[in-house]
Amino acid sequence: MSEVIVITSGKGGVGKTTTTANVGTGLAQLNKKVVLIDTDIGLRNLDVVMGLENRIVYNLVDVIEGSCRMKQALIKDKKYPNLSLLPSAQTRDKSSVTPEQMKKLTDELREEFDYILLDCPAGIEQGFQNAIAGADRAVVVTTPEVSAIRDADRIIGLLEANEIKQTQLIVNRLRMDMVKRGDMMTVEDVCEILAINLIGVVPDDEQIVISTNQGEPLVGSDALAGKAFANICRRIVGEEVPFLDLQKKASVFAKLAGLFK
Amino acid sequence: MSQPVIMKSNKYGLNLILDPSLPFSELLGCIADKFSESEKFFKNARMAVSFDGRELSREEEYQILDTISQKTSIHVVCIIDNDEIREQYTKQRVERKLEEEAGNTGKFYKGTLRSGQVLECETSIIIIGDVNPGAKIISTGNIVILGALKGTAYAGASGNENCFVVALDMNPVQIKIGGIIGRSADKGILASIRERRKTAAEPRAATVSDGHILIEPITKNTFNNI
Repeated sequence: MSEVIVITSGKGGVGKTTTTANVGTGLAQLNKKVVLIDTDIGLRNLDVVMGLENRIVYNLVDVIEGSCRMKQALIKDKKYPNLSLLPSAQTRDKSSVTPEQMKKLTDELREEFDYILLDCPAGIEQGFQNAIAGADRAVVVTTPEVSAIRDADRIIGLLEANEIKQTQLIVNRLRMDMVKRGDMMTVEDVCEILAINLIGVVPDDEQIVISTNQGEPLVGSDALAGKAFANICRRIVGEEVPFLDLQKKASVFAKLAGLFK
Repeated sequence: MSQPVIMKSNKYGLNLILDPSLPFSELLGCIADKFSESEKFFKNARMAVSFDGRELSREEEYQILDTISQKTSIHVVCIIDNDEIREQYTKQRVERKLEEEAGNTGKFYKGTLRSGQVLECETSIIIIGDVNPGAKIISTGNIVILGALKGTAYAGASGNENCFVVALDMNPVQIKIGGIIGRSADKGILASIRERRKTAAEPRAATVSDGHILIEPITKNTFNNI
């Protein structure tokens, strides 16, 4: 049975697109058939993070308007043939698409793919309404900051109101050193406020910036963030995976990295 | 007079301003039309009615009431006289009755109120869940939260300062009871989380005392004055 998962946050810049790219690639590594849809019409960037920008011929709006067939717009990933991307349009805006059209589109993709991941734009307006229209479940990404958490809370409320039953949480860009000093909220603090199931904690990792700039998701690599994303993918497909001990592993890795330098 | 019947609403219900020059039977027709138009708007409202602009006999008042009940499903609780002393008295009675009703009847709401969600209630309300920051709950009566109050609560929204707000974990952004507003101390989120972790959450009640919102742990005496 295929599933449509929307990746959303309310606030911008917390890592929705990075999460979509990494979770999508990670699910492909688990031999699932995956399609990523960039629903951020007018601010296209999932293709850049995936390193697929140069392959775009048609986009989401073209498919919806019937200017091309679905097959023509889907871009196959460089590494994983079972991973595809449906890019967003850059020269249009959110009102070019309606929630009903998005639902029809996702339903069409269900026939071919195991997982359909929707990268949601920031905000709660039409772009958000479009992105959640066809979704079965949602992954809410937040950082341990009040502003991001407040917006995530609003988003969770809206998802509930739109009858999306299963909503899970990723706490992104956690800095253990700051948590230890008492300068950053802990994962427990975040969970206490948002009160939904936690599906992953991703540490703040400069490797993410490097991988984004290279257009190669780092899921599955030895970097701590890469491991965290791989674990999230296994939890999404229903495996029970213990959470990484970010503190301990970080120090072991630091030592190892030091040895080989 | 341009319109033979003018409806004005006040706190207690409707004030009908009637044309003194029109024959009564004609006026009655105008009243019937006016109320038929607004039937949907009023639905099953309960209200008091007062008359202005024209001397009415008992008989005529009853005829008007009959017309109102024929044309709408409004439940007229009483007629308020223009006699000022009696009016004051009646108004007080209605007010007390409304407050009593708000305070003595309640509703349950199960679920967490999240940022941006507003729950309004014409009676007292009991929330089974949390009220998160950015969420708001408004009640004309009392508010009881079986969970954490981290957002905004407004009890006694019709102006009753004898109402109270109770929460198992009391950390509001703002509390308003009647016309009195209290707000939380200015401190960062980390400081307040840390403070909360230090002290175990205990049920607290917010009431109005000397014109200020007072929040204190619930004791036997908390509700004696209410």
